[in-house]
Amino acid sequence: MNLLHRLAYRCRALFQKDRLEREMAEEMRFHLEQRAADQVEDGLAADAARCAALRRFGNVGRIEEQARESRGWTRLEHFGKDVRLGLRSLWKSPGFSLLAIVTLGLGIGANTAMFSVLNTIMLKPLPYADGDHLDEIYRTNAQGAETQISPADFLDLTAEMNGYGRIVAYARGDMSLAEPGQPAEMARSIRVSSDFFSVLGIAPQLGRDFKPAEAQHGNHRVLVISQRYWLNRFGGRADVIGHPVRIDGETHEIIGVLPASFNDWRHLGSVDLFRPVGLTKEEAVDRRTAMLELIGRRSPALARTQADGLLANFGKRLAAEFPEANAGSTWHVGALHDVAVGKSGPPTLAMLIGLSGFVLLIACSNLANLLLARTMARAREFAVRSAIGASRLQLLRPLVVESLLLALAGGLAAIFVAVWFTQWLTGRSTGDNGEVVRFALDWSVLGWAFAASVLTAVAFGIAPALFAMRLDLNRTLKSGARGSTGGPVQHRVRQVLIIGQFALAMVLLAGAALFVRGLADLNNRRAGWESDNLIAGTILLPATSYPGTREIAAFQRLTVERLETLPGVRSASLSYTMPFFGLSAPRKYRIEGRATPKPGEEPSAAINGVSPRYFETVGTRLLQGRVFSDSDNLASRKVFIISQAMAAALFGAESPLGRRLAHLGSDEPEWGEVVGVVADVQSVYPERGPVTNQLYQPLAQEGWPMNEIAVRTNGVDPSTLVHAISATMTALHPDLPVRRLQPADERISRANYQLGVLRDMLSTFALLGLGLASLGIYGVIARTVAQRSGEFSIRLALGAQVRDITRLVLASGVRLALIGSALGLLGAVGISRLLASAYPGMRMDSPPVILGVTLLLVAVALIACYLPARRAAGINPIESLRAE
Amino acid sequence: MAQKSDLLQGSLDMLVLRVLSRGELHGWGVTQKLEQLSRSALQVDEGSLYPALYRMEAKGWLRSEWKMTENNRSAKFYTLTRPGRTQLEAAQESWERMTGIVALVMQGA
Repeated sequence: MNLLHRLAYRCRALFQKDRLEREMAEEMRFHLEQRAADQVEDGLAADAARCAALRRFGNVGRIEEQARESRGWTRLEHFGKDVRLGLRSLWKSPGFSLLAIVTLGLGIGANTAMFSVLNTIMLKPLPYADGDHLDEIYRTNAQGAETQISPADFLDLTAEMNGYGRIVAYARGDMSLAEPGQPAEMARSIRVSSDFFSVLGIAPQLGRDFKPAEAQHGNHRVLVISQRYWLNRFGGRADVIGHPVRIDGETHEIIGVLPASFNDWRHLGSVDLFRPVGLTKEEAVDRRTAMLELIGRRSPALARTQADGLLANFGKRLAAEFPEANAGSTWHVGALHDVAVGKSGPPTLAMLIGLSGFVLLIACSNLANLLLARTMARAREFAVRSAIGASRLQLLRPLVVESLLLALAGGLAAIFVAVWFTQWLTGRSTGDNGEVVRFALDWSVLGWAFAASVLTAVAFGIAPALFAMRLDLNRTLKSGARGSTGGPVQHRVRQVLIIGQFALAMVLLAGAALFVRGLADLNNRRAGWESDNLIAGTILLPATSYPGTREIAAFQRLTVERLETLPGVRSASLSYTMPFFGLSAPRKYRIEGRATPKPGEEPSAAINGVSPRYFETVGTRLLQGRVFSDSDNLASRKVFIISQAMAAALFGAESPLGRRLAHLGSDEPEWGEVVGVVADVQSVYPERGPVTNQLYQPLAQEGWPMNEIAVRTNGVDPSTLVHAISATMTALHPDLPVRRLQPADERISRANYQLGVLRDMLSTFALLGLGLASLGIYGVIARTVAQRSGEFSIRLALGAQVRDITRLVLASGVRLALIGSALGLLGAVGISRLLASAYPGMRMDSPPVILGVTLLLVAVALIACYLPARRAAGINPIESLRAE
Repeated sequence: MAQKSDLLQGSLDMLVLRVLSRGELHGWGVTQKLEQLSRSALQVDEGSLYPALYRMEAKGWLRSEWKMTENNRSAKFYTLTRPGRTQLEAAQESWERMTGIVALVMQGA
């Protein structure tokens, strides 16, 4: 009740100020009149009575002031006055205000946009229930590389790990899907163990989840599809449930549709088909074929570190019990969210946030310079006000309010910049399957922008104000018109700010330039193969039609033959993989005539099965021996071709030809003879390090269902062959859609498109930084010239040449730029290290690039200083001195 | 000067509350009443009554209302609220305790 009353009073005090003022005046007038009337009764004359009344009342103005204060809100009223004053003073210097707001808008905007990226990628939880208890369970091999897990190991784990919670597995592998009577198309798919969806906490929006019985091989021909696929492929029809489709040639039934929220590009990506993993009896005891990835839902009683210990013990037992498959490997538990974000994610994001912070810092120091100049220009005003008794707080308040206003306007501008930037990023981040990655602005992003603005205002608005406080009153008042030059300390501060700006700009420019150069290198890198006139795509042979090597070998001969009869085709090939795009899991080997190495120390090699004219087709050079021929098949002895580096690593200077190797997987070694050595081939992806050991075997001696087809044209544009190749494959078998059929060059640039986005971001930051830094140096030099015009006039009057003045001004600016760039070099080295560690496949050290960047910075500084220098040269000494 | 009015402030509030506890009055009326009750011994700027009135109104001890005086002029009348009455009792009690202590010391010395 009382509270309400007080609140009502406060509100009246705030909103009915005029009325309260009137009432107060009226009340006091009443008092004075009554008192005067009293005095008249006592016999005083009217005038004297009024005077006496006033005397007894006291100082009316002061009492009114006290009364206002006791009403409350005086502070707010002062603040309101300051705001009005600040707005008016900003409005009166539109050039300064606009420059400050744009500078801040760009700086804070870049920073806010980066925060929204961070927010989207790292801070938002994955779309699964209770993500804190979701883990990724993974294994690293003796070399420290993360590897997948074999079905038998997974089954052991689920049987043993009841204390952990629930563990599910999935295997990636695309499938072809066709409706009855139609040719098939490829769809992104994974096969999942039972409970997969319930462990993630996801229920289908339509139809049902898998039943435990469907995990059994034979019952596994049921499908759950993504919402996107349901809409795009089946038009969102409800009768899709129960609909029969052909998957890799076998009839399956669609039983469920997932909710839209399921697909998250950070974790599984845009997977469209889900099928039970349906392990066969042979697969269930297989420890060699690592094909599964695991997700665990940890029981709430268990900490992640405890879980990690449990899994480590399990791994040790496995390594001891089954050394040939597990020696040297260790098991780990990591938060699913961290794993989804990836290893290169956090450092890259940290770098982007840091660099956008640099842009913001450059913007801030520009603002500080502007405000410092503005404050110094008003130094005389401050001195006068302080001389007549204004307190420090009273002097400081309008300055702080002014910079707060600027920061808020800048923050608003920043939100526009951030919106524009995130829209651009959303457009650039749309994947080749049309999956859109949205970078949306939400409250936390807006909060970030606001906090950044206020922080900026406080840090860079108050600093110059404090300078104003330190002014020597006497000197400022005495120095008359020259009070605005600012002392040596302010001059030093400005110089330091400029040096800092150039150092930061140097880091930004160097990072961007190195990255641009590195990506260009990467896009042009063709280590061990040739991409011109090459087109490639992926096919999956349906197991029903091609159950074994014999059938696959026959298919390979027929396919290559048909493809090579197409007009414009010079040669064609089939292979498991193409090492420049991706490698299969490594296999371990032993060498004939040498002792069997200890488990975990066997030489391993990335394996590739190829058709005879593969090397000719992709352009990998044969260095020794021979390539495969049609007579290397199941009927003949096993043969291998190894890479140059593998030959050197295994056999040193000896000739590898005629030496025999055997895959360690089989109990009875199946020896194969090395018949050739080819050039090393490296991946086009920057995050993959070089792979030394590469081993090729004839596809006709071991056929795999997943294959890459490659076609080299005789100079015809390879993209014109897309249709003919697809038609040829469909004619061979209706369930043979070709996935990602595109020219190799296109595939490379698409593969690196995210790096392209990163490159564009870095370049934007660098250009922003450069632009802001040049504005900063221009402003400071121009101001210095204006302040020193008297000095220049005297110099000119005493006989100095215009050239000397120009040189003086230029030298002072370029000196700052050079010192800044030199300091920035240290940062540039740092950032090149950082980039090199995040992208080991990219070259990030290039002295010419660094040198070029330094020259660019100095050139920009020269231009920015030249304009004011010319003005200095144009000074008319007589006029200038007279104006003093 | 400032010190003197600070010293008076607490007691002025109490006196005003006391005067108003007998019924509603306008500012001039409060002044008259104080003068009358103190037999003109209180020396204080009459104007300083108003900040005190506003402050106590802001605190919710008083409520104000514009009404006609007996001379048919409109004036702002102040009334004691329930929290104001509580405050008066508390102030009076602490005042009595205080003067009691002071008196004790003065007599004992």
